[in-house]
Amino acid sequence: MTLIMVVDDDQDLGEMLGIVLNGAGYEVDLVSRGDQVMELFTAQNPDLVLLDVMLPGIDGVEVCKLIREKSMVPIVMLTAKGDTQDVVAGLEAGADDYMVKPFNPSELVARIKVRLRRNSADVTSALRIGNIEIDQIAHSIVREGQSVPLTRLEFDLLVALAKEPGRVFTREALLSEVWGYRPATDTRLVNVHIQRLRSKVEADPENPKIILTVRGVGYKAGVPGSAE
Amino acid sequence: MFQRWRRSLVLRVTFTIVALSMIIIWLIGSALFNQISAGIFKEKLNISVADATSTARSTQLQLSIAQYQDRATVKMIINEILAVPSVSGSTAGREIALFPFPGNSSSVNYRGTSNLMSATSVTEEFRAKTRVSKGAIWERTDLKYLGGKVEKAIVVGNVLQIPNAGKYELYVLFSLTQQNATLTLIGQALWLTGLILSLLLGLISWLVLRQLIAPIRDAARIAEEVTAGDLDQRMDIRGEDEIARLGYAFNEMAVTLKQQISRLENLSRLQQRFVSDVTHELRTPLTTMRMASQVLYSAKENFEPAVARSAELLASQIDRFEALLNDLLEVSRFDAEAAVMEIKAVDIVALVREAIDYVHPSQERIINLNVPSGEILIDVDPRRIQRILRNLLTNAIDHREEKSIDITIAQTESDLAIGVRDYGIGFNNKDRSSLFERFWRADPSRARVRGGTGLGLSIALEDTKLHQGKLEAWGLPGKGAHFVLTLPKFAGGTISSTPIQVIPRGEF
Repeated sequence: MTLIMVVDDDQDLGEMLGIVLNGAGYEVDLVSRGDQVMELFTAQNPDLVLLDVMLPGIDGVEVCKLIREKSMVPIVMLTAKGDTQDVVAGLEAGADDYMVKPFNPSELVARIKVRLRRNSADVTSALRIGNIEIDQIAHSIVREGQSVPLTRLEFDLLVALAKEPGRVFTREALLSEVWGYRPATDTRLVNVHIQRLRSKVEADPENPKIILTVRGVGYKAGVPGSAE
Repeated sequence: MFQRWRRSLVLRVTFTIVALSMIIIWLIGSALFNQISAGIFKEKLNISVADATSTARSTQLQLSIAQYQDRATVKMIINEILAVPSVSGSTAGREIALFPFPGNSSSVNYRGTSNLMSATSVTEEFRAKTRVSKGAIWERTDLKYLGGKVEKAIVVGNVLQIPNAGKYELYVLFSLTQQNATLTLIGQALWLTGLILSLLLGLISWLVLRQLIAPIRDAARIAEEVTAGDLDQRMDIRGEDEIARLGYAFNEMAVTLKQQISRLENLSRLQQRFVSDVTHELRTPLTTMRMASQVLYSAKENFEPAVARSAELLASQIDRFEALLNDLLEVSRFDAEAAVMEIKAVDIVALVREAIDYVHPSQERIINLNVPSGEILIDVDPRRIQRILRNLLTNAIDHREEKSIDITIAQTESDLAIGVRDYGIGFNNKDRSSLFERFWRADPSRARVRGGTGLGLSIALEDTKLHQGKLEAWGLPGKGAHFVLTLPKFAGGTISSTPIQVIPRGEF
């Protein structure tokens, strides 16, 4: 059964989240303090983490960084301040997505489903983007003979770009493709994750060869084998 | 020049001092001059009258002695008198005239004047007076020579009894040329002194004023800088004079001002922070409530009708509560001046259609859309404009009283306007100014149709202001209402025209 770790200092909200997620068929682990997360995380090894930003002990952004040091597990941040730096800070710390309180429970479940879905589409062809080889079966990428760890979201983002090498993706298109959103939501998600992905796969993130920016439109994949 | 005059206190005060001192110097100088000239004249007059009297007496004496002698002697005496005045020396400008009384029918005539003096130098009036006077009399006159030369003079008249020739008038004229020259010299000296004095006074006052005004200028400059927001500016204080006291007072004021401002800033920051924190803190329990109500709502088929209805009401009220919370948060952002604009070029026609779909998805037939064909791109924050439109549309639908709603889009070169007109209950003139107030309701006793938050129009107005736009309202009870949103088409522009008049055609 899929295990979701819910980190929130509000006991009632945690319990309610437990009820809703149990109803949707997930198992739930509740943690109420930021400094208890890592211990439980190592013990339980959850499939997804729902993380509140404001936490006693260590705050959510720090917790997010700690988890990312160990694991590529999908992280969804819960925040009460959708408009502040919290969102960007959380995304830069490695969160895949965020939900602004008060959220609709059915939307939360839908987002969690997208984050947990296995990329079960056609995995026949080996994909290449720039000098990166993507192994869709092993869910890993190889750059210059070395394996590079990616979060599932980063992997999905890279695959989406690599599958259609000629296509220019708008930020809205990437949002609906990778995050499963209706278009015209928050494009900061895309910007932050492209930056993170570039820092992992590009030789020189300032001068990207693999994920190219198309000014005023969006992003596209670099030509296979052209880099360096 | 006029500008400088108005701006410079030094210039104005210096000018005033010079002007006033000139007037005073002129008055004093004139008085002095009059005094001196009167003195000089009096002196000359005394001498002249004495001279003329003694001349008359000695002549009369000589003539009295000569009366027993022959005519030639008399003639000689008279010629002597007439010849005495010379053109140089101490008697210069002393002339003598001898006229017989009119009606003197003596056969000999001793009439004569000295040195080619014109007989008209002595006026007829004076001669008449002389004839009846007992002793010497005098008058000012013009001393005329036959050559045309004219000099100011004093004339002294006496009566002379010439033996065997009857009564004669003896006139001695004393030229005032010398005295006038002296007076002219004195006058010139006075003028020059006055002028130099005035200029010196001007110079002195200019120097003194500059010294006085320099610290005031500094104060003005520093006050300007403080006004411009640099509250750390202070005046230099030297000594303990009045200027230093001004400096102390000014610096004191700047310190107090700074304290007050930071106190108020702190207060308002605390206040805004409080509103923002409260709003945020409410979000977590609201999330729990929402999830709980959603769980109940999705299970409502299994409940009794009353409980099921309660679950429905709970769900819808939680939505309303959330809307209110979002509006409050938005208002607190406006109050904190923390609202951020995200400007994009968007098609306003599509935006209007989107807003209509959102507010009124099912029955589009109640809304008549009157828009130009094609798309109109304008630079706006689409989220905010969408919110304004939704608020205006919700408002119109709430108050339409089952009548249709007209939406108009019109544009000029620089501006674009969207009009939302309903024909419902409208509002009276008194309420127009209150429309945009927070939580204001047209009629408290009236049932709320849709339960808006009461912040909609107030937020719409703030959003409009962020766009440098204009949101106007017109309404008449029973005739409906007309709201017009006017926006500059390009980012950073301001409204310069009126694409839609807020007062509908045919109304007033």
